[in-house]
Amino acid sequence: MPGVRDRNESAWLLPNDGSRTNHGLRRDMRRFADTDEIDMVIVGCGAGGSVLAQRLARAGWRVAALDAGPFWDPDTDWVSDEAGSHHLYWTEPRVIAGSDPVPMGSNNSGRGVGGSMVHYAGYTPRFHPSDFSTYTADGVGADWPLGYADLRPYYADIEQELPVAGEHWPWGDPHGYPYRPHPVGGNGEVFLRGAGKLGITAKVGPVAIVNGRFGNRPHCIYRGFCLQGCKVNAKASPLITHVPDALARGAEIRANAMVTQVVIDQRTGRALGVNYLRDGRERFQRARMVAVAGYSIETPRLLLNSASSRFPDGLCNDFDQVGRYLMVQGAPQTAGRFDAEVRMYKSPPPEVSSEEFYETDPAKDYKRGFAIQTVSPLPITWAEHVAAQGHWGSALREYMSDYVHWSCLGALCEFLALPENRVTLDDEKDSHGLPVARFAYSQGDNDRALVKAAQAVMEDILHAAGADEVITIKRYAHLVGGARMAASERHGVVDQNCRSFAVPNLYITDGSVLPTQGSANPALTIMAVAARTADHLTGTA
Amino acid sequence: MTGPATGRFPGFDVLGQARHWDTVTADLIAARTGPPPEPRFFTDAERAAAEALLDQLTGQCDEPLGVPVLAMVDARLAAAETDGWRYEDLPEDGQAWRETLGCLDKDAHDRCGTGFAGAPRHDQAAIIQAVQDSSEWHGLNAPRVWSLWTRYACTALYSHPHAWSEMGFPGPAYPRGYKNAGVGKLEPFEVQDARAGDDPVRDGA
Repeated sequence: MPGVRDRNESAWLLPNDGSRTNHGLRRDMRRFADTDEIDMVIVGCGAGGSVLAQRLARAGWRVAALDAGPFWDPDTDWVSDEAGSHHLYWTEPRVIAGSDPVPMGSNNSGRGVGGSMVHYAGYTPRFHPSDFSTYTADGVGADWPLGYADLRPYYADIEQELPVAGEHWPWGDPHGYPYRPHPVGGNGEVFLRGAGKLGITAKVGPVAIVNGRFGNRPHCIYRGFCLQGCKVNAKASPLITHVPDALARGAEIRANAMVTQVVIDQRTGRALGVNYLRDGRERFQRARMVAVAGYSIETPRLLLNSASSRFPDGLCNDFDQVGRYLMVQGAPQTAGRFDAEVRMYKSPPPEVSSEEFYETDPAKDYKRGFAIQTVSPLPITWAEHVAAQGHWGSALREYMSDYVHWSCLGALCEFLALPENRVTLDDEKDSHGLPVARFAYSQGDNDRALVKAAQAVMEDILHAAGADEVITIKRYAHLVGGARMAASERHGVVDQNCRSFAVPNLYITDGSVLPTQGSANPALTIMAVAARTADHLTGTA
Repeated sequence: MTGPATGRFPGFDVLGQARHWDTVTADLIAARTGPPPEPRFFTDAERAAAEALLDQLTGQCDEPLGVPVLAMVDARLAAAETDGWRYEDLPEDGQAWRETLGCLDKDAHDRCGTGFAGAPRHDQAAIIQAVQDSSEWHGLNAPRVWSLWTRYACTALYSHPHAWSEMGFPGPAYPRGYKNAGVGKLEPFEVQDARAGDDPVRDGA
């Protein structure tokens, strides 16, 4: 990939001796003093925070990115095991409420350097151009204060840096990928066969998993444990795609540092830095600018926990926008039973997608749409499917013993943003004495109609592929929104450059700024938005 | 053991592949299959009810797999290793377990004049089934109680190599990976289902 290395050397900074971590780079990392007024302190080292850190460090900024969790070493910290990967998820207490409460943890919440991309499947589709103006087009959702064309070059850049493998993509803004599609396993084979019989276009990809060698990152070994953290360094996460280059360019990654408050100068209204906890001590990092990138639950929680006399209802919350319009995708999964052995665990769960049903279809009684993708649950997750059918005891065991015969598809339905779906502070406190997040979520009629339609399509595909029976589990995937970008402070928390309306030197650079979510996995878009903000900050936009 | 779940993958033993696993994962699985940790969370009364409930939920009354689900759940609750959330209308997981086990004992007393652990198995099953079939149970949201129980039970059972062997799943796969993916394809160490026609859906399990 000529050119990528000149922009982002991460893959070449990793070891090529079979181990996965450049310990020297971490040991020799630049370290700032709390009293240094650095140029930018970033809260959170996931998709958004890491990209911002890497870009700003490249531009010569003095940057420290603080993360509440550990600085992972895939060799020693991660295992090829479902239950043993529990520590990859954010499992601090949270309260879920509303008529359709959304489970957290392994479903959508990462922990440590790399964030949720450590345990995401690896799908990295772009949003469609229509995602940026759903209100104008369909009277639902919201219009972004920027358009697809503004993100397009950043999508292309990040796709090269991850890098993404897949077939030429015919949907949205048609585009190619830097790496060829992976060979498919049993589950992908079933999806392609069923879709082909029905005349539904399905394509292999797009996945941020190395197909071939990329720098010192090796080829995928198809072991199926993508959601448990990639021990191979084949699946992209910021831990290996942006953090190494950030370190080499002088950024500090300060792990195990839990930010508790953004501190505001009550006279000027500007951010002074952040309070954080490390090794049981309260500390304060001074900075010229602050970027919050804690994702859709912890970012609103931090803003609300940063209330002060200037912002009595929470930082940036003068217009009661913080925490609102939080979205999840409806993610029903439908499985089909085949007499042949599919053994869906023998490949990355992300293999094949269809965006055939992504856009509003005027013939339907609902707006917007859904995507369909392979998912390949491992035994513990598969047991959730079986238990959701009501089976327990001997029946559960019998169903589970049939595992090798099942194929499983998942939908991502574009649930619409609603103001009452939001994060507030609960009365319950965490171990540091800080109020925990309370996330209330309720579906609307359009949401329910999408789930029903997606389930019917998945059932049709599996039947067409030869399944004799199908079962469905209703669930959710991904988080975005909660501190959305908008044209004005009355409708959102940040502007099109991710700068907060309320505090001129405070930015939010994570998934919480997204006003709509499409039917796309959000990681690539979160990175692209952060990269665009970095260009804005460094004056290269 | 010859129940409907067992014997589908003759001779397949996940642990036979342990020498091919990375040491961090291999150590973790070895600890999981070693002597179970000492109980730390449940009281004696709670432990008895929990064991009966978990054996019922995991089918180990009829077909024991030798998976110490009780000890695994106890250890998890003692470490407060939650899923990272709780429903607004349920207490945190540990407290929810204690309260619901107490409710099972109460139901068993009403039905059989004994604690849940001492009730005949078919009575235990009927009491559990009633929770699954209810919307409210002792003032609690019954589907959420059911979700709590089955999540902990299934996570423990299906983290164990004995359960993987029963379902033909080879377990850890690093650094080995897979070379023969695709419908109907096997690795040399995988064993074909000896009863491929035993479709639990068709059988109406």
